[in-house]
Amino acid sequence: MNWFRRLFSRKSMDIELDKELLFHIEAQIADKIRSGVPEDEARRLARLEFGGIDQIKEDCRQRRGTVWLESLLQDVGYGLRQLRKSPGFTLTAVLTLAFGIGANAAIFTLVNAVLLRDLPVVDPKSLVRLGNWADCCQNSGPKQDGNYSMFSTETYEQLKRNSPEFEELAAMQAGFENRPVVTRRDARQEAPRPRMGEFVSGNYFGMFGLQPAKGRLISPSDDLAGAQLVAVMSYSTWKNVYGGDDSVVGSTFWMNTKPVTVIGVAPEGFYGDRMSSTPPDFYLPIATVPDEMGGKGFRDPSQNWLDIIGRVKPGIAMLPLQEKLSAELKGIYAKDSHFSAADIAKAHLVLTAGGAGTQSMQDSYSSNLKLLMWIAGLVLMIACANIANLLMVRGMQRKTEMSVRTALGAIRIRIVRQLLTESLLLAAIGGVTALAVSYGGARMLLMLAFPGDQHLPISARPSFEVLGFAICVAMATGVMFGVAPALIAAKASPADALRSGTRTTLGGASLVQRGLVVFQAALSVVLLVGAGLFSQSLSKLQHTDMKLESQNRYIVHINAQAAGYKDDQIDALYRTLEERFHAIPGVVNVGVSTFTPMEGNDDGYGVHLVGESDIHIEATNIIVNPEYFDSVGTRVLMGRGINAHDTATSPHVAVVNQDFVHSLFKPGENPIGRSFVADGNSPKPYKIVGVVAGTSYTNVRRNGKRPMYFGPLTQPSEVGYAGAIVIHTSHPISDMEEITRRTLMGINSNLAIQTFETFDEQIAGRFTHERMLATLMLLFGGLALLLATLGLYGVTAYSVARRTSEIGIRMALGANRSFVVTMILRSSILQTLFGVAIGVPVAFYGATLVRSQLYGLTSMSGSALWAAVGMLLAAACAAGAIPALRAASVNPVRALRME
Amino acid sequence: MKEDSKFDLPQGTLDLLIMRVVSLGPIHGYAIAQRIQQMSREALQVQQGSLYPALHRLEYKKLLMAKWQATETGREAKFYELTSRGRAFLKDETEKWKRLTDVVGLILKGTLEGVS
Repeated sequence: MNWFRRLFSRKSMDIELDKELLFHIEAQIADKIRSGVPEDEARRLARLEFGGIDQIKEDCRQRRGTVWLESLLQDVGYGLRQLRKSPGFTLTAVLTLAFGIGANAAIFTLVNAVLLRDLPVVDPKSLVRLGNWADCCQNSGPKQDGNYSMFSTETYEQLKRNSPEFEELAAMQAGFENRPVVTRRDARQEAPRPRMGEFVSGNYFGMFGLQPAKGRLISPSDDLAGAQLVAVMSYSTWKNVYGGDDSVVGSTFWMNTKPVTVIGVAPEGFYGDRMSSTPPDFYLPIATVPDEMGGKGFRDPSQNWLDIIGRVKPGIAMLPLQEKLSAELKGIYAKDSHFSAADIAKAHLVLTAGGAGTQSMQDSYSSNLKLLMWIAGLVLMIACANIANLLMVRGMQRKTEMSVRTALGAIRIRIVRQLLTESLLLAAIGGVTALAVSYGGARMLLMLAFPGDQHLPISARPSFEVLGFAICVAMATGVMFGVAPALIAAKASPADALRSGTRTTLGGASLVQRGLVVFQAALSVVLLVGAGLFSQSLSKLQHTDMKLESQNRYIVHINAQAAGYKDDQIDALYRTLEERFHAIPGVVNVGVSTFTPMEGNDDGYGVHLVGESDIHIEATNIIVNPEYFDSVGTRVLMGRGINAHDTATSPHVAVVNQDFVHSLFKPGENPIGRSFVADGNSPKPYKIVGVVAGTSYTNVRRNGKRPMYFGPLTQPSEVGYAGAIVIHTSHPISDMEEITRRTLMGINSNLAIQTFETFDEQIAGRFTHERMLATLMLLFGGLALLLATLGLYGVTAYSVARRTSEIGIRMALGANRSFVVTMILRSSILQTLFGVAIGVPVAFYGATLVRSQLYGLTSMSGSALWAAVGMLLAAACAAGAIPALRAASVNPVRALRME
Repeated sequence: MKEDSKFDLPQGTLDLLIMRVVSLGPIHGYAIAQRIQQMSREALQVQQGSLYPALHRLEYKKLLMAKWQATETGREAKFYELTSRGRAFLKDETEKWKRLTDVVGLILKGTLEGVS
């Protein structure tokens, strides 16, 4: 029988033991009777000979080897009873632990999932990415710093040919998220829907070492010009959209109006080559881009649109390989007329670990996540200080109890063990609750960071590491802060403790306790100031003059290419769109453009003035219709906007923004009438006919500091078809989305709405990041404040309880209530002020560390500081007031009689 | 035999005696005590206070195993017998004991000769 079963069959074992010993005695009696002793006498003698039966039983039980466990169970049972007896203490301690550890575990879950996770592919360690920053989505021309991370199809093919160091070198579309593929399954009456389709090289799956879940994966023979159009479906799309239907494999899908055969399903768990909130639904061979996307620019040797990741052969040194690839790159750009000698000399690429894929999301979130980790760490420290305080207070409260137990003969080690069991129990309950908090917290963080995204390949479920982490922290806290009070309590010499009773004047909180409160207050100041700074930053961001009008504007995105439109049909479509939307009652302006303000996307080109080719700038090109500027509220400052007279046959013109003028012209120079060239955008130079205000486009932090030029929709440009429609109405129209859908269907049944948002929603979407940070900082700051208040309350309440008789004497001697209240409040406010004195300099230092993440705040904000200090002091007053009032209501006679 | 001619057992020998008795066949606690008394020609009387804890310890160490069965008088009793591990243990310990007593005897004999 093992010890576990022994433990649970304790009862039956005791019965057996009884039976066994009884048998012995009866046999003895029987023997004696047989030898002639009378029965009564035999019975008496047998009992006498046998000795203390209970002692024997106890000895036998001890031999079973389960005593330690039985006494542990006793300790646990007793501990649980103790915790139940003081629900306030238990609840406070458990919640403190749960939030302190839970917040950490939640953040750690995300850090683990976002920053530390490798792609689910074979041997991710041997993958190398060409490039070290997230470039997107399609561009051309030389880079200012000469550091390239995105390449053209031709560059990829050449690098692949000349790099035997790689077992495989694969390419993948960098900005597939911005160019959905409109998809419809042939077999069913399915409406066409925009889906994520990523174009990848033929060796993509082979390079990752992946096996199909169904059918087959894309192979190099699929990635040839003229090959049959094929696609691989992602596992989650197959499961979630098509219910794991086997007939999907081999069936035909209409993608951007072209028939494509789905040849297989990618392995389960594979979410593509990058962490993204919109992972690919389909993988398509690069060679089929011209057929499926209309092919504008994709085969152009100057158009960069591919990320490259390769698997290096064992033993290849990275630095020489990087040199070699950079030299290769220089050779390629040397043949490109857009590159000057200086551009070519600067050109290089940096190799980075490719195990986690293209880390665009990691790049954009790492600083935030690290900040959050720091903050969660601070909250944990506050929580631990709180627990320490609570346990110490409790340990001292129970000094008398322990003394009585010692006096009654309890062994010291047993008492220490009992107290330790109690704090570990508390830690365990806290730890388990913390896991729930962590799960909820991680869910909330994900929702804040990626609102409305259900496809993120990140799970909020805590991993084993997180689980271990939470349990370790909880246990460490329990042991660390349980041992000290246990020892103090156990060391008490019983006679002393019992004699001294509760009368004391010194017996307030100890220095350690006060120190812990000061420490908590200091940390709270830091966190509250942080919360204030981030909230101010967010509000400044949101109230920045973006030089646009968002009221009563709706923005619709469509994909004309995907709906099958050709170059010779697109102008007619633009005109039809303008007419049909204008026909809707209440519509004031209809803007049509490639991109809209605060959409987070642009097309960049290298630009220089005609005759001044030595000054290059990178500028964004957007093509627009005449009503566009009015529809988004961009003001024309000089010259004119785009108008109906700008046609395919009229002179090639552009309207530029203020920053464009500042970047290319000397102050006072008149830009109107001057011409510039945009490499790779248009063969003809543009003549500037107007200057507009610097409306914010991708990022409000740039605040219009981005050179931009706007060309007419009707004149040739390489940026592709306009896909954004801005509908400006005279009043809010609640069913605008439905009206839009019907209007588009009326034009062409293949025209699907890709996104529909009000302008305000689109703008708000650009602040998700900032809002998340500000919200979290507020949450953490509030949590810190709450914990610090609890800590302060605990210490004050404790010292009031200890000083009841002292207060009674004071009042008996004539002290009035307000004196008592002031006396108690003074100490709690004094501790808080100490905390503030320490916390404020730390907050100043902390503010310098996060300055890069703040907007519009160059140094510490006075209002954030005052708000933080004020809030903390208010909390301190509240925490002190309750015990202080209780102290003031002490009845002196009763207080003195208490002993 | 007088009371004072009985003596206390050296540490650990009780286990050996119990196992020796049990090695003769399944036997219950009372009989073990009787048997030791008989085999020692009444020189050893095993106290119940040490017998039962010892039995339970040996059972816990898996040197003995126990089952309930009827005695010749028809009553249920807990019968102990050796496990294979117990048998090996008994063999080892018996040899050790023999060697020890031989050596101790040899030395004590020599000392007595020298004294006299």
